[in-house]
Amino acid sequence: MSKHISSLAPSVVVDTAAARVAVSQMIGRISLRARGDLAAVGQAIGVELPTQIGARAKADGIEVACLGPDEWTVLVSLGQIEKVEDALAALYPSLPHSMTEVTGREVTFTIEGPQAVELLSIGAPRDLSTIKVGQARRMFFDGATVVLWRDAETSFRMDVWNSFASFLATTLETGAKELAAELA
Amino acid sequence: MSTYRVRGKGRVDASKPIVFTFDGKPYTGLKGDTVASALLSHGVHLMGRSFKYHRPRGAIAAGSEEPNALIGTRRSAGRFEPNTRATVQEIWEGLETNSQNKFPSLKWDVGAVNDAAYMMFSAGFYYKTFMWPRSFWDKVYEPFIRAAAGLGVSPTEHDPDTYASRNLYCDLLIVGAGPAGIAAAREAAGKGLSVVLVDENAEMGGSILSEPQAKIEGKTSWDWLSDELADLKAAGVKLMTRTTAIGYYHENLIALVEKLTDHLPTLPADTPRERMWRVRAKQVVLAQGALEKPLVFHGNDRPGVMLAGSAQTYLHRYGVKVGNSPVVVTSHDSAWYAAFDLQDAGAYVQAIVDTRAQVRQDLQAEARSRGIPVKLSHTVTATGGRLRVNNVRVNPLSGTNVGAGQWIKCDALLMSGGWTPSLHLFSHTKGSLAWDDDLTTFLPKDTPEDCVITGASRGLWGTEAALRDGATRVGEALAKLGVEATATEYTVADDRTGSGVMMRELPTDRSPGKAKAFVDYQNDVTAKDLRLAVREGMRSIEHVKRYTTNGMATDQGKMSNINGLNIAADALGKKQPQVGLTTFRPPYTPTTFGAFAGYHRGEHFEVVRKTQIDAWAETQGAVFEPVGQWRRARYFPKAGETMDQAVTRECAATRASVGIFDASTLGKIEVVGPDAAEFVNRMYTNPFLKLAPGKCRYGLLLGDDGFIRDDGVIARVDENRFHVTTTTGGAARVLNMMEDYLQTEWPDLNVWLTSTTEQWSTVALNGPNAAKLLAPFVEGIELTEEAFPHMSCVNCTVAGYPARLWRVSFTGEVGFEINVAAPYGRDLWEKLWEAGQQYDITPYGTETMHVLRAEKGYIIVGQDTDGTVTPADAGMDWAVGKKKDDFVGMRGLKRPDLVAENRKQLVGLLTEDNSWLEEGAQIVFDPKQPVPMTMRGHVTSSYNQGTTGRPIALAVIEGGHSKMGETVYIPMPDRTIAAKITGTVFYDPENSRLKI
Repeated sequence: MSKHISSLAPSVVVDTAAARVAVSQMIGRISLRARGDLAAVGQAIGVELPTQIGARAKADGIEVACLGPDEWTVLVSLGQIEKVEDALAALYPSLPHSMTEVTGREVTFTIEGPQAVELLSIGAPRDLSTIKVGQARRMFFDGATVVLWRDAETSFRMDVWNSFASFLATTLETGAKELAAELA
Repeated sequence: MSTYRVRGKGRVDASKPIVFTFDGKPYTGLKGDTVASALLSHGVHLMGRSFKYHRPRGAIAAGSEEPNALIGTRRSAGRFEPNTRATVQEIWEGLETNSQNKFPSLKWDVGAVNDAAYMMFSAGFYYKTFMWPRSFWDKVYEPFIRAAAGLGVSPTEHDPDTYASRNLYCDLLIVGAGPAGIAAAREAAGKGLSVVLVDENAEMGGSILSEPQAKIEGKTSWDWLSDELADLKAAGVKLMTRTTAIGYYHENLIALVEKLTDHLPTLPADTPRERMWRVRAKQVVLAQGALEKPLVFHGNDRPGVMLAGSAQTYLHRYGVKVGNSPVVVTSHDSAWYAAFDLQDAGAYVQAIVDTRAQVRQDLQAEARSRGIPVKLSHTVTATGGRLRVNNVRVNPLSGTNVGAGQWIKCDALLMSGGWTPSLHLFSHTKGSLAWDDDLTTFLPKDTPEDCVITGASRGLWGTEAALRDGATRVGEALAKLGVEATATEYTVADDRTGSGVMMRELPTDRSPGKAKAFVDYQNDVTAKDLRLAVREGMRSIEHVKRYTTNGMATDQGKMSNINGLNIAADALGKKQPQVGLTTFRPPYTPTTFGAFAGYHRGEHFEVVRKTQIDAWAETQGAVFEPVGQWRRARYFPKAGETMDQAVTRECAATRASVGIFDASTLGKIEVVGPDAAEFVNRMYTNPFLKLAPGKCRYGLLLGDDGFIRDDGVIARVDENRFHVTTTTGGAARVLNMMEDYLQTEWPDLNVWLTSTTEQWSTVALNGPNAAKLLAPFVEGIELTEEAFPHMSCVNCTVAGYPARLWRVSFTGEVGFEINVAAPYGRDLWEKLWEAGQQYDITPYGTETMHVLRAEKGYIIVGQDTDGTVTPADAGMDWAVGKKKDDFVGMRGLKRPDLVAENRKQLVGLLTEDNSWLEEGAQIVFDPKQPVPMTMRGHVTSSYNQGTTGRPIALAVIEGGHSKMGETVYIPMPDRTIAAKITGTVFYDPENSRLKI
């Protein structure tokens, strides 16, 4: 029977001495595309938009990561989505932009533990040391595009499109067990 | 203790005996032994048969370059590996090993008749022998070659082992942990750099492991080695043993294969057998050392004939004498030390035969002091012994004259033709080589990669030279890393340095044409084969190599390339660099498929994408099929049903009442911005500028060339927002194409694209009862013909979830697609499923979807189109906006070929005898024409499970649109089927069923 992963049912994927991987609770997500007067956009959502790709900002429970020259992902609590959407809609006539809710699109894995970086290195071809604590990157992991948030040296969140979740959970589970066996 | 084991020698653990088997017979070795060293400790030299002539063969080397001693190893069911080098495989309690290429036994093999018939098997023999008669190829030659070819036996059982992979970034990667590599690591250690030192052997140290006599910095070499490795480890250097750098790729990407369990008696849990490391190193130091060259003479492949340096390794690393009465034949000083060490270990060296007239006095004095007879200016012309060398024929040389032969008894013959720098990885970097006349070998010159090469792999000889060079050369790499280098000056006492001369085949007094003087042991290529190749017109070493197969075996010509080149160059009368050196290619040593596959095998072979409803389908026993990376429910069989029966039932049930279908995999792109309508209008052939919010329209996407690329329904959500759907397999491609146009052609458009494929779970309801079933769940719109006509869309609430509800149909029935945020899809589906029971709701899969749409003549891009079909060809001119100024592909459609008469056009086919046509079957107009017939088209879709009471088919046929009612023919292997050309709509052509 294949793994079924849903952000409606948070669960622990694997928990070893090397790393713990869990599925997070559903959270509101907005893909935001804009150019021009970014200060106005930041004002509307209540967080100043970072402009360096990979940089993050957070205020009042709203977290933003810059993923491209004109692209941000905005995380908000489910209850706040409407408020943010309304604020952006009000801005649209003066500053056209693209606000697309993608709450359902993604599942987030939390990946933490002493070997979290090594665990990521089994599927991530990029140099993880270049993703500093407090940054986020869109990157490749075992055949899928993911967004990786580094919250501490060995604590990460990984956003993956939901259809990839069960496949990637298998990768993470295999890796966490392999790394734990190495420690033993 | 076995006869050939030397007490007090070697790094094996005498207190830990280990029993393994070879060809069913148990042998006892010591912990630290390889299969080869353990067998040699029992005087067993015969370890296999050669590939072509099935000649008896023994280990010729002691490391991964071994061409002969290839064995099968077995642990348990499925854990069998052919062609393992006995010189590398470490023994463990219970290991089963077997010799290869023998029948019925290793000692008596019928395939050895090839050896007697060797004149038939000369260079190019495949090309010459099997060319004629042509008709023999399939039935005689190819089966024969396939049966005879190949090393060992392929495993037949499923491999239960797991394999892993990891990515690693580091500042400095050092390949080879001999003296040069270790000295390089020492300079780099403790300077804040991430340093990785890898070695393919179980132990680090390289040549130091075979040179315990040396004193490095006042310590014995082995003490120095263990101290140094401990220091490096303490300084944070990552030390990796049993790890082979198999390939050097662009931008300093090096592939390492780490063997994790092949040496362990029991397999630890959750531990892969091998791990592929993809290392991206800022700087690389190559310190791969050098490989000893065999001498080429008649009988140089007999078991017991081996490399002198390897004999030294067996003695010092494993405490094994390879013989009690060896003879040494050499053209290089290094083999003299092998003679001295063996003599000192209790062997009686029968003679040192050196081809050179002049040899260093100190070496001669050492030989004299040990009582070893020395024969300078001598050659070896033959060896004797059936399964093991027992004598050697030695002749004096005087100029080009070869004097009378004298047989010397021996139980091993140790040879050295000098040393070849190991340039494999350097060669992978596209590094250029320079011929060195003094050393008669190629040396590394320039490389485009950030790497330096050091030690014996650039022709240096001796431990001190290697240490100093490693410490110095790494400085270049360190400087580029911004670290100051110090270059430690090492002093080594009792170091062994030396030099030698290059030999081609050793001179002989016998017919060189009959000499079995092997150059490539693994492919059984002899010196005379190489000369024959040159005589038959091969001029480049690349041609000589392919004609003779020299250097083309799994050992990558580690031993044969330079000898082969020297002989070919001599035969051509040219200098070696003018004849050229063949390119080394990865992998450096044979690598398992498992290591390449890593985690990607079995269920994890390839990314599998699943919808949120997939698990429901699984519990219902759905049969799945892959569509791109997705797995989709193909049909839902009830107990005992075949696919045809299930699909027939699903089709009928959907048309009769209501069917439910998971359409979540459809690609979805949100197009947002003031120019959204303009953008969609430019991309698709259909007009979109005037599509009102709340309405949907079918869209056809072409390439620049005018051919159909994709299609889908597009909804205008509001003035500035479109919800575009694409085919399941085309989603990523279409988004890329759109981004390409947006970013490069139309950067002025104020519009953005966001992939929303996975934002939505999409549940499709189709059938006359679809509206009745759905209506009670919907808030915000009435599902009537008036309020919500066909091709409408609305944002509303369905089953309590915010939804984008569309009224569309891909079946010809009343149809709805309900989009809700992906995680809610499963719940929505189950609610509809439950409520649908009163309407006998039937889940259907992709197969039924295909049949129902074909009955309506709706195309599937990629099935009814193949990248050469225009809208007109597909009968879809109606989808092309006639008044549009531009759209992607508009100019392409005007090309003469695309408007030519007689293009292949999509039509329907009904067979005269009601038989089902095979998809892909070719179509002809005249079935009586001679073969080969002129093919006029082919069947693109064909089904017999639909609701029209007869099989239907779609086909592309030359000029098909003007041939309505005509009969065409489909020749099949057993008969020819006649079919009538029809329109493409087989069901409800008036579209009356689309009305609620």
